[in-house]
Amino acid sequence: MKLVRDTALMTWRSLLHQLRNPVWLFVGVSTPLLYLALFAPLLKHVTVLAGLGHANVLDGFLPGILSLVAFSSGVSQGFTTIFELRAGVVERFRVTPASRLAILLAPILASMLMMFVFDALLVAVGAAFGFSVHWLGLAVLGVLLGLLMTVMSAFSIATALITKEISSFAAIVNGINLPILLLAGVLLPVSIGPQWMRIIAHFNPLYYLVEGSRVLASGSFSGPHVWQAFAVLVPLCALVLAWATRVFRRAVS
Amino acid sequence: MAQGNESTVIEVRDLRKSFAGRHGRRVEAVCGVDIEVRRGEIFGFLGPNGAGKTTTLRMLTTLLPIDSGSAIVAGHDVARHPARVRAQIGYVSQLGGADDLDTGRESLLLQGRLYGGDARTVATRTAELIDLLDLGDFADRRVATYSGGQRRRLDVALGLVHSPDVLFLDEPSTGLDPQNRANLWERIGDLRAAGTTIFLTTHYLDEADALCDRVAIIDHGLIVALGAPVELKREVAGQAVLLSLRDGAPAAQQALALLEPLDYVREASAHEADLHLYVDNGGESLPLLLRVLDGAGVGLRSISLSEPTLDDVFLRYTGRSLRDTGESGAAP
Repeated sequence: MKLVRDTALMTWRSLLHQLRNPVWLFVGVSTPLLYLALFAPLLKHVTVLAGLGHANVLDGFLPGILSLVAFSSGVSQGFTTIFELRAGVVERFRVTPASRLAILLAPILASMLMMFVFDALLVAVGAAFGFSVHWLGLAVLGVLLGLLMTVMSAFSIATALITKEISSFAAIVNGINLPILLLAGVLLPVSIGPQWMRIIAHFNPLYYLVEGSRVLASGSFSGPHVWQAFAVLVPLCALVLAWATRVFRRAVS
Repeated sequence: MAQGNESTVIEVRDLRKSFAGRHGRRVEAVCGVDIEVRRGEIFGFLGPNGAGKTTTLRMLTTLLPIDSGSAIVAGHDVARHPARVRAQIGYVSQLGGADDLDTGRESLLLQGRLYGGDARTVATRTAELIDLLDLGDFADRRVATYSGGQRRRLDVALGLVHSPDVLFLDEPSTGLDPQNRANLWERIGDLRAAGTTIFLTTHYLDEADALCDRVAIIDHGLIVALGAPVELKREVAGQAVLLSLRDGAPAAQQALALLEPLDYVREASAHEADLHLYVDNGGESLPLLLRVLDGAGVGLRSISLSEPTLDDVFLRYTGRSLRDTGESGAAP
């Protein structure tokens, strides 16, 4: 009960902070919309060339963008952590009897809530331009997006607690960003790549989400991609959360 | 399961902590500290930066694991029951920790709820603290707009929301201008009058002198002197004389050799061009000293006679002046 109470209190705090940061809100909304506006038109011709038949280019592209939003909102969590570490906020909470897991989970939950709002907006905009909406598939996809976002957030927060300063943290995050994104087929599907690329992609958690997201968004649940995504992300989420809690307990700043 | 004596809030025995240093060597940050803090007193930990003050404080507040030794805080063993200790203590770090994006009142309300208080109790307590620390004028503004002094008072209030058995203040007045320091000291004095036990660290002598009932002087991870500021100063016999020699360090050594054997000079030490003496009956001995130096042709730049301060106590026990120790080796 204490965990639930502490989590609710801390999540509300994080949510207020996000709403009080208008610049952050604006970028959060505009970046994925820009992807849709600026990248989808390019993709139209590529998919035709690659022979990936989708009724509408957005049917294949929008799920990838949703995955991308989940990935980047998770991976950027650590910036807040470092800022709060520097300002003594983390310590202020660590000396209270509040649940450690609650302190760790709260910013993740708050960002996840905001992410779902952005996702809904993206789907609405996409639908206006011909994306076919399959509610049940999108709902299940929401669970997967939440899982990946938690994995990346916990990883990011733990990395922030270990590095303790912005420059090395930013270097690590930027360093993993590009390979993970390219090897996940967010923008262009990995299936059009050479075999070595398709093999490496299987070590990338985002890859499973992106593959699963395309199937789910089309309203289908069949094929291996959906259960594979769950089979990879659920244990990974538990593992990374356990590690991050451990790092948080021991964090010395 | 509460342990220890009712009148003792903190009981520390042989506390030790070392960190991995350069070249794989261990750096001993705290090497065998014993402390007893009584209920209702302000206990000060005085020492230069890197002496082990913050490290000790972090161990007592459960933020840093203890290497060896024992620490009972508010009746509970820090190593065995950190959660119980946390529920009973307040801690204000050097960094503060209030959220820029919240108002002061919001921060206090959240902090109170995290300590398990229900909404109504916490609201009442928050109003009390806003009163006690004089936050009324700005409690409903965002913290980002606060001045250094306002922020500091909010930090202290945050440490007090749950009426802790003991409040830990780490360098409370660092970075404050003299006016805000005086204001903060006044507030801390009010807290003491209200019965709050306070454990604070400081590298300011005047702060330790003005606020603390008892002071432990720490240097290189060891307590070198412990007692009430008045007692400590009394231990430094007589009055302090500071002679500044015109011809630098060699002249100071020469003067040291001349004056040390005199029977009214209790202690003498030279630091570059300065000569520190503790003498009996300064009014009579000062002219005698001057005569000796004059006779030997040693020129003076300046001379001062004063009652001993905590700096003299520090100097006596560590061989260095607290003001000279600088910013070397900040505590991790």
